[in-house]
Amino acid sequence: MDKHPDPTLLASFGRGLLPRRRNRDIVRHLLAQCESCCRMIAARALPPFRRGKTKESLRFTYDAAFAQAWQETERRQAALSAERSEAPELLRELMAQPADRRWTLATAGPRYHTWAFCELVLDAARELGFQDPSRAVDLSRLGVEIAGHLDAVFYGEARVNDLRARAWAGLGNAHRIRSDFRPAEEAFAKAERLLRKGTGDPLEKAHWLLLKSSLRGNQQRFREAFRLLDRVVAIGRKHTDGQLCGKALIMRGFLVGVANDPEAAIRYLAAGIRKVDPIFDPRLFMVAQHNLVLYLTESGHHQEALRLLESARPLYHQVGDQMGLLRLRWMEGKIATALGHFPAAEEILRGVRKELLERDLGFDAALLSLDLARIYAEQGRSAEMLRLAEEMIPMFQSRDIHREAFAALLVFQKAAEMERVTLGLIRNVSNYLQETRSARGLRSRESR
Amino acid sequence: MATLDHPELRESLNILLKNARPRLERVLRNFEIPPEDAEDILQDAQLTLLYKWDKIRSPESWLVGTIKKKCIMYWRKRRGSLCEAVDTAILDLLAVPQAPAQERAELTCDLNRVLSRLSSRCRSLLKLRYGLGYGPTEVAEQMGYRTSSIRKVTNRCLAALTRQLLAVGFDREPEGEPQDG
Repeated sequence: MDKHPDPTLLASFGRGLLPRRRNRDIVRHLLAQCESCCRMIAARALPPFRRGKTKESLRFTYDAAFAQAWQETERRQAALSAERSEAPELLRELMAQPADRRWTLATAGPRYHTWAFCELVLDAARELGFQDPSRAVDLSRLGVEIAGHLDAVFYGEARVNDLRARAWAGLGNAHRIRSDFRPAEEAFAKAERLLRKGTGDPLEKAHWLLLKSSLRGNQQRFREAFRLLDRVVAIGRKHTDGQLCGKALIMRGFLVGVANDPEAAIRYLAAGIRKVDPIFDPRLFMVAQHNLVLYLTESGHHQEALRLLESARPLYHQVGDQMGLLRLRWMEGKIATALGHFPAAEEILRGVRKELLERDLGFDAALLSLDLARIYAEQGRSAEMLRLAEEMIPMFQSRDIHREAFAALLVFQKAAEMERVTLGLIRNVSNYLQETRSARGLRSRESR
Repeated sequence: MATLDHPELRESLNILLKNARPRLERVLRNFEIPPEDAEDILQDAQLTLLYKWDKIRSPESWLVGTIKKKCIMYWRKRRGSLCEAVDTAILDLLAVPQAPAQERAELTCDLNRVLSRLSSRCRSLLKLRYGLGYGPTEVAEQMGYRTSSIRKVTNRCLAALTRQLLAVGFDREPEGEPQDG
């Protein structure tokens, strides 16, 4: 056997750092079965579960590694805190600009290209998604652009790819809310590609899976949606993240509700609500409670729905967005109708409908009109029913609405003209409108 | 979770890292990560934790899980570099022109001894690669693999070859991956 290679050469070989000629000599030596050299390389290049533990590792001390890692973390933490304290003012400044100027400023100005600012834009876009979907798309696009400008050397390439993936997933979700499925699909695909180049953080993946399941739900591809949610639950369990499991259950509740199974929706929503912490995500908690109240009402559990609504009321005010408060009043109107308190219900629903129309939310206003129609049907007020049916058509005509949904409304109008509107017909038209909304991705019931 | 300001975040991180340190150290030791490389692993995981602090519900279990995953990736990378070095070296050794006949015969004999310990599938694949000088596409054709999957199969066989090459340095069968704690 040739003489043994120098131990430093063996160490470099184990790390794949030697020039080819040296590699060749060492491999030739190893092929001749040199036990000591094989052991030395195995210890450096094969994991312990492949070769058995070495005695050398018992002497490892990690004090310096921990100290140095903390030093760098502390330095970065100070920089990140500085970014975070500047970010809100930067966002205010930027949002005060006209849209085109905003874009120019954000793309050209390096002071906007920080992690904290990017996160703030993404969070703001997510919040806007529930109130102003068009602006949410614009802001999400800005988030994607800013994420694209982040310094990958400073923040770390894999981490930046995670944030870029989050930005694209947010944009995909904003498109979903606006019913634009094709751009939503493209954005989610882009996010998935970026995740593959990211840190491999399972929580980041779970976030993407949750949003994607929502898209699949809106597309009525429920089986796929549930498979995605199963993966979220698996990640949540593995990382003892109850919040994540709760989110997945709540999303499942939304989806089975859309799929017309209110009893299952109640079960999943109630289970999800038990797991999520309202302090961590008050909006999720509020939306979940809202949907639970809705399905309890629809399943005839009116008293329970009322009790839950009362206990959830402070949360609506705490979250404080106008759409949430409007939906709270709509729900009060629904429950009052179900309990037979017609004058109060009519007053509430009329007020909410007026506000929905002022916000240009014609589809919601038409759906709410069907709740009013229930009251008129119960009281035999056919003249008001006819007037209501006539008012509903222009709400739909003014926008790009699914043809079948429009046809359903025409059937309703015809029945009103013939004084043949029944509670069954109202329920069918209402369900049909809800389904076409989901199928086309028209903004679904508060789903996230 | 609300975004924490500077001193609060620093304090929370500091407490978390102090509490998690015994578990983290155990993971590093189980995976036998050399201290000089442990710093990179720790730092990278801690920075990711810092940037995602607001999104992570159970930071300690997230951190331990992330460090474990990074340890696995660390060894996978090391093993990958080693396999690549072994493969290139064998190809170079076989390509040396006009090597004395005896040297060549000894090399073939030594190589065949290692190959004989591999599965028949890997043995056939590596014989095509080393014995007949086939490229990946030709190997795929000969063995009936799809071109898209041949790289993965070759890498697995190279990993097995490397393990067998070094096997005289350790005398135990591979176990499952180590568990934390």
